[in-house]
Amino acid sequence: MGTRGRERMKQSSLSIDTLREVVRTLPKNGLTPSREAAVAHLDEHGLPTLRDEDWKYTDLSPVVDISNRWLTAGGQQQLPKPPSETIAAITSSIDAAWLVISNGTIDEQSVGALKQKGVEVSRFSDAPSEFVMSRPLADLNAALLQDGLRVRVTESIEKPIGILIVDRAGDSVAVAQSCVEIEVGSGVSADFIEYHASEGDADHYANTVLSIAVGDRADVRHVRIQNRSVRHVQTGRTSITAGREARLRMASYDLGGGLIRNDVDIDISEPGADITFDGLYLAGDGQHIDNHTRVDHRVGPATSSQEYRGILKGNCRCVWNGKAIVHKGADGTDASQANHNLLLSDKAEIDTKPELEIYADEVKCSHGTTVGQLDETALFYLRARGLDKRHATQILTHAFAADIVLRAPVAGVKDAITAIVEARLAELIEADAAADLLS
Amino acid sequence: MLEITDLKSRIGDSEILRGLSLSVKAGEVHAIMGPNGSGKSTLAQVIAGHEDYEVTGGTVTYEGHDLLELEPEERAREGIFLGFQYPVEIPGVNNAYLLKAAVNAKRKHQGLGEVDAFEFLKLAREKMAVLGMDPKFLNRGVNEGFSGGEKKRNEILQMAMLEPSLAILDETDSGLDIDALKAVAAGVNALRSPERAIILVTHYQRLLDYVQPDYVHVLSQGRIVRSGDKSLALELEERGYEWVREAANA
Repeated sequence: MGTRGRERMKQSSLSIDTLREVVRTLPKNGLTPSREAAVAHLDEHGLPTLRDEDWKYTDLSPVVDISNRWLTAGGQQQLPKPPSETIAAITSSIDAAWLVISNGTIDEQSVGALKQKGVEVSRFSDAPSEFVMSRPLADLNAALLQDGLRVRVTESIEKPIGILIVDRAGDSVAVAQSCVEIEVGSGVSADFIEYHASEGDADHYANTVLSIAVGDRADVRHVRIQNRSVRHVQTGRTSITAGREARLRMASYDLGGGLIRNDVDIDISEPGADITFDGLYLAGDGQHIDNHTRVDHRVGPATSSQEYRGILKGNCRCVWNGKAIVHKGADGTDASQANHNLLLSDKAEIDTKPELEIYADEVKCSHGTTVGQLDETALFYLRARGLDKRHATQILTHAFAADIVLRAPVAGVKDAITAIVEARLAELIEADAAADLLS
Repeated sequence: MLEITDLKSRIGDSEILRGLSLSVKAGEVHAIMGPNGSGKSTLAQVIAGHEDYEVTGGTVTYEGHDLLELEPEERAREGIFLGFQYPVEIPGVNNAYLLKAAVNAKRKHQGLGEVDAFEFLKLAREKMAVLGMDPKFLNRGVNEGFSGGEKKRNEILQMAMLEPSLAILDETDSGLDIDALKAVAAGVNALRSPERAIILVTHYQRLLDYVQPDYVHVLSQGRIVRSGDKSLALELEERGYEWVREAANA
């Protein structure tokens, strides 16, 4: 056995046989062919490991472990649902037409509520989708997905469409898959809000796949809020395709979660696209938040700009990897990437890496990353105005996050995000103050 | 109010204050002048409690208590205000928020309730009018993108809202055009009262045309080498600092 083989042995792998058995028990419908293809793909490729360049900082062992335990227990699909108050607390705080997916099960009533003039909704089980197997973890999603939804927006809508993925971990280990495909028609303006939440003590793994096809000259705003329990695991993939002169404003907020891995892929194959995507992640003890983004500029001119910011405190690790590939001939590309991190403890670790691959001639690309502590001068300034050290720390930390919060492209979610960010930062800094007292 | 006796302080390995003594009583306005590097700003920072400056000798008492024992925020709440030479830009923190937090921190320390939001705004707008500040500055990030003059006016606004017992203004006049200088001076003069003391740290005499000091002190190499009334400032303006430095070394 070679070195590679031994390493593979060390990292546990997904039990394909058990997976196959569980998939066999799922109802036969339009999803069956893609499920079988997904299992075959997984059998051949397995899940990503630390040896894969794109996954070297994020150990998926918890994903494998939770999945295997759940599969061995029979892969129960009818999992407990969160209490209606939990759902109502979220949906009432943010104005949107909410589609609710709980533990992988699409809430029928909410699908009805989604339907409005200019919005068509269909299920994968009725109209199967072409799954793109080469995307890691999308295969696992396809293999175990109960059902997926396709949302087509053909006319501009005023009210945002909300997608609430809310899970409850009951007494036993659970795994939930969800998949939503969004198509926004030519010239259509639409807002989307994606909200992830979870509760409960048992181990839980959620795997989500979302795609947005932004039509020619369409104008789309998308906000993603991840506020899962710090006990839970989530992997998610967001795939964007941009049409001619499409405009997309996207912001992503990772405010909770234990092990979180987000992949964002943006494909620009038509000229004139204008895309901004920003992100904020807050991590405390025991959390691991990994954001991998990739933009493929296949034609120019087009603009992509991203800024992610992170606040890390305690024993945690975050990863930001922003890749922009400017393909041959994509002249007139303007791509910028930035990642700024505030480290509030020496146990926090950040791996930050911009990656630019440029094969075109006429391009404008920039990137910048920073990792730092709080500005001591600003801290003293605030204290000299009578604010105690903790309050001053809180204010400066909040200010660092505020820039990204204010960039949330859907106005109606800013208050909700601010409230979660404030509460979370207070927790992180409170913990800091407690540690100061103990030391 | 403030008694500084034989104060010695250093930052890193360099000794900056070398036995400075100064007595300031309520109702007085003192101007501290001196060439660059004489220790003017260090004195201001030490009084405000900046941790980078190590006090290696001497005492500072404020209203009869050992000031050096207090944290910077405690000093502020006890009524000491430092107007910064370089006010810090804090993007993302609303100016009004900081003002209110500062006022409330002091009120809480005094055993008072939080300031009424309506009263606070009314008061802030009044003070801003005196300083010739547009009320929209309340909703901007603290000093974010402010011009030099706007930053200094903002310092004076904070001072006006906090109504300190002892205000130390560190080179508040530097980099101001004549209008801004007059506005800042108006803000300082509005604060003059028999209960308050003001220390103006300045390189130039020009501010003293608008804020008349009771005493002028000249700092050189970390010590006060000359004290006098406002005519000393005029003399300095005429004869330059070299004259003082020579006198100090003699």
